Amino acid sequence: MKLLGKHLDKDGSGYVTLRPDDDEDIWHLYNLIQEGDRVRASAVRRVQNVSATGSIESHRVRLNLTLAVARVTWSPSTAAAGEAASFSTDASTSTSAPAHAATLHISGRVTSENPHVKMGAFHTLDVEVNRDVRIEKDEGGWDSIALGRVEESCVPGRGAEVAAIVCGEGTATFCLLSQHMTMVMHRLEVSIPRKIAANSGAHEKGLTRFYSALFTSFLRHIPYSSPTIRAIVIASPGWVRDAVFDYIMAEATRTGNKALLSTRNKFIKVHVTSPHVHSLVEVLKSPEIASQLKETKFAREGIMLDKFFKMLGADEMRAWYGPVHVALAADRGAIGTLLISDDLFRASDPIMRKKYVQLVEDARQKNAEVLIFSSMHESGQQLNQLSGIAAILTFPLDVEVVEAEEREAKEEEERRKQAEENGEDVNAG
Amino acid sequence: MSRHRDVRNINVAGKMFQALGNETRLISHSHSDELDDGAVSDGGEEDLSPQEYEQLMSGLDHIRATVGSQEQSGLSDKEIKDTLYHYFFNVEQSINYLLEAQTRKIAARERKAAKEREKAEKLAQQKKAAEASAKLPPAKPKKATGAKLSGASTPVRSTDIRQLDLAGLNLDDETVLPIDEPPPKITVAREKVLEEARKQLEGNADKKTVSLVVIGHVDAGKSTLMGRLLYELGRVDDKTRKAHERASSKIGKSSFSWAWELDGTTEERERGITMDIALQSFATPRRQITILDAPGHRDFIPNMISGASQADCALLVVDAAVGEFEAGFERGGQTREHLLLVRSLGVSQVVIAINKLDQVQWSQARYKEICKLLRPFLIQSGFHPSKTKFVPVGAMAGVNLVARDGDEAQALNAWYSGPTLCDLLDELEPPTRDLDAPLRFPVANVFRTPSSVIAVSGRVCGGLVQVGERLRIVPGDETAVVKAIESEEERLEWAAAGSNVTLHLTAVDPRHITIGSVLCPPTDVVPLVTSFTARIIVFDIQVPITAGTSVELFHHSRDVPASISKLLATLDRASGTVLRKNPRVLAKSMSAEVQITLRSTTVSGPTARAQPIPLEPFSVNKEMGRILIRRGGETIGAGIVTELN
Repeated sequence: MKLLGKHLDKDGSGYVTLRPDDDEDIWHLYNLIQEGDRVRASAVRRVQNVSATGSIESHRVRLNLTLAVARVTWSPSTAAAGEAASFSTDASTSTSAPAHAATLHISGRVTSENPHVKMGAFHTLDVEVNRDVRIEKDEGGWDSIALGRVEESCVPGRGAEVAAIVCGEGTATFCLLSQHMTMVMHRLEVSIPRKIAANSGAHEKGLTRFYSALFTSFLRHIPYSSPTIRAIVIASPGWVRDAVFDYIMAEATRTGNKALLSTRNKFIKVHVTSPHVHSLVEVLKSPEIASQLKETKFAREGIMLDKFFKMLGADEMRAWYGPVHVALAADRGAIGTLLISDDLFRASDPIMRKKYVQLVEDARQKNAEVLIFSSMHESGQQLNQLSGIAAILTFPLDVEVVEAEEREAKEEEERRKQAEENGEDVNAG
Repeated sequence: MSRHRDVRNINVAGKMFQALGNETRLISHSHSDELDDGAVSDGGEEDLSPQEYEQLMSGLDHIRATVGSQEQSGLSDKEIKDTLYHYFFNVEQSINYLLEAQTRKIAARERKAAKEREKAEKLAQQKKAAEASAKLPPAKPKKATGAKLSGASTPVRSTDIRQLDLAGLNLDDETVLPIDEPPPKITVAREKVLEEARKQLEGNADKKTVSLVVIGHVDAGKSTLMGRLLYELGRVDDKTRKAHERASSKIGKSSFSWAWELDGTTEERERGITMDIALQSFATPRRQITILDAPGHRDFIPNMISGASQADCALLVVDAAVGEFEAGFERGGQTREHLLLVRSLGVSQVVIAINKLDQVQWSQARYKEICKLLRPFLIQSGFHPSKTKFVPVGAMAGVNLVARDGDEAQALNAWYSGPTLCDLLDELEPPTRDLDAPLRFPVANVFRTPSSVIAVSGRVCGGLVQVGERLRIVPGDETAVVKAIESEEERLEWAAAGSNVTLHLTAVDPRHITIGSVLCPPTDVVPLVTSFTARIIVFDIQVPITAGTSVELFHHSRDVPASISKLLATLDRASGTVLRKNPRVLAKSMSAEVQITLRSTTVSGPTARAQPIPLEPFSVNKEMGRILIRRGGETIGAGIVTELN
């Protein structure tokens, strides 16, 4: 993303103009734009003119519109295709649409005067790559989280990506991992007859069919020769990954695919325990990957989430989750690492968002490490399942004790209030 | 069978129906307090509409079906060649029959499904009903005689009120669904088949069939033991054995030659490890045993689960070699996990073969030590001591499998005089099968036979399946027709609950059937769910379960990503009473009620939607209601489905 212009007031109002470069930037925009913001972007609108004689003329006009955002919808490019593919249990392959582009739709009322569109008319903007977008927020809108995201998204050369194939016998999922997103490019399902003592031929035939289907999908969906791909991970339980790797290399040699052969050292084979996509978490915390990619955001997230779960097992009093509990821990300055999902900042309720922003700022101030998980990663999804917020504490705290304290404090407060009222009464009397 | 014909003859005599119908209502009404499910929906008794006439027909069809079993249970030894007119005067018997007829008419197949399973529940409910309407029983005989004397109509109205009362008690926990009666031709055949199946299960016929899953830590010698056993029992000829020996020594793995009988694929042979279930069968003097040789490697536990869910009993193979047994038995070893898995899947009998004793010079001390270590764990896992048997074996040399002669066995004979492995297998008792339930056939494998017919293999988990039947494939909207049923290279006309068979299907595209699909009758379809409530037992885990934990859900041969969406309550393990509502975490060996939601298979934001899977509550079908939960390659819990939502 490119930052084209920025004008902010001290009170956190102002605007930022951005130009998204790729799908991930669209995701950033989705996280930046909130209900109530004003967004200006180029749009195409069909305009109808009624002439004096009553004939209607309609034509398309390209124009810049400013909307007061009412709704933002995001659709990851591959979700629809992936969904479709997963359902079809076609014997050979299930193909997804080759074109993949994330889309962001912003709908709302037009707020600026325009020769073609009336004020207050509804419009839906389609935000696309390489089209400028100006986001204007009201007072307090540009908080530290939002600005942090702008900054983060505009760092150049962060395009390091990892391609991953999570496979089992007969199933394979092709994913691309970037800093903030995991994109499922393609899912492959080939039904392989299981071994029968009598005729193992069918099983082996099925396997060969699976490997060849996997190879073609690999060529189509994984940009293996792109310099931004840092590693190509093949993950599977059992020994499927070895077989897959050998097959890919053998085919590359056979077909003389030099580009593929030269990427040989980018391949990493990782053992995972299940062929489902969610084993990507296991991929990220495996030592092979962790050492190579430890500075990337998604690897850090994976490792930290794992650490949280381990802490939950080892010392329950130092691993807290849930918004209420984490807030209590924050009050006591106990937070060592805060894990929070970007889902929470997308809350449509600005008060909620402000609360979480405050929580993050407080934690940062107290030198706690704050990780904002992207819910487009598997680790973020898992954190979302866990209410979206969790914390590893620096010292153990018993939830029940803390809750009891809170209750007491509340009662105390009430008593004091009552006493005050009584006191006033006395004074008045 | 002749009495059936007689009964049918009577049916044709239309004149009889009115009287008969009235009699049916009358008597059944007056005895409805004996029924566990007193939901009666009969209308007026005076005029018989065509529908009622038809209902009567079907009801009588069912009488014919019941008669057999009633007679077997010794209720009526009198020859029932008389007409139903006779029942009119013979109150005791007609009660028995007509009661049955009435209940069947109401609940049709639903009733059948529940019958065996809920016998125990019935008893309790009857007691309840008796308490609730304590004054009713004395009236019963009088009513019956009254009916006999005065004909049909008078006492009915009074009993209708009682009927309402009974219905108000909510004693009928079965949901009564409108069920299409299958075409008569099949019904007759089906009843016959049912009877035949019952007879076979009761053991009057030939050998009882038992399916056995072979489990144990990796390299304990499961496949080798099975290969050797098959050889000893004459299922493998010398030629194949020699061929395996030659070929295995050629690639330098001669110690795996016995296992090659079961490890069929190239990869398995090259690696010397079982990766998927192998199905074989053999006969002992009194049992026909289907063996499912499970892989021991932890990466292939999904396959092992698929096999274990098709088994009645388990054969646990443990390696007696020093250090090897301990490796398998300590935390994370497969001996432990497999035992827990099979127990959770409903296996209650286990034979423990202590293998490779030859490597410890047939030391009795070692044998005893291992038994001593295993016993407490078995009891703790829920195996009854009387249903666990230990046997020392040497698989490679074939010692104590079928016999104990030869030089190799000398050392063992010195201290062991108990049964051989084969003797123990011969004593395995098949569990009771649910024949009356609607058919459930979870598909464990889909393939094409050499003649290019689509075939599915698996185990019948309730009810029975016949050649020529049309079955629905769930999930999906497709049906298929059973062309043939195959078991151990034999063609069968039908297969009943508990049998491991291969069905050849026609009229279906193979793309509609996948491993994990369930075949069921089109009239009684398995529900599809994405979210359900389950009662689980948490295994020995290090990281506790929180709400939102990502898991893999295993159900028969299917595994899907899921998450534990809500922790509803922790329960007392023994009594099942709620200890704490909405717990924060579940630690090890807790029992809890949780809500499980399937996850979408794609990682993507809010639009993701999960694909539903076929599942039934445990109370409806035991085998369809068992689930296992795994996380990170470790089984973290097992449970039963209590409610679909």
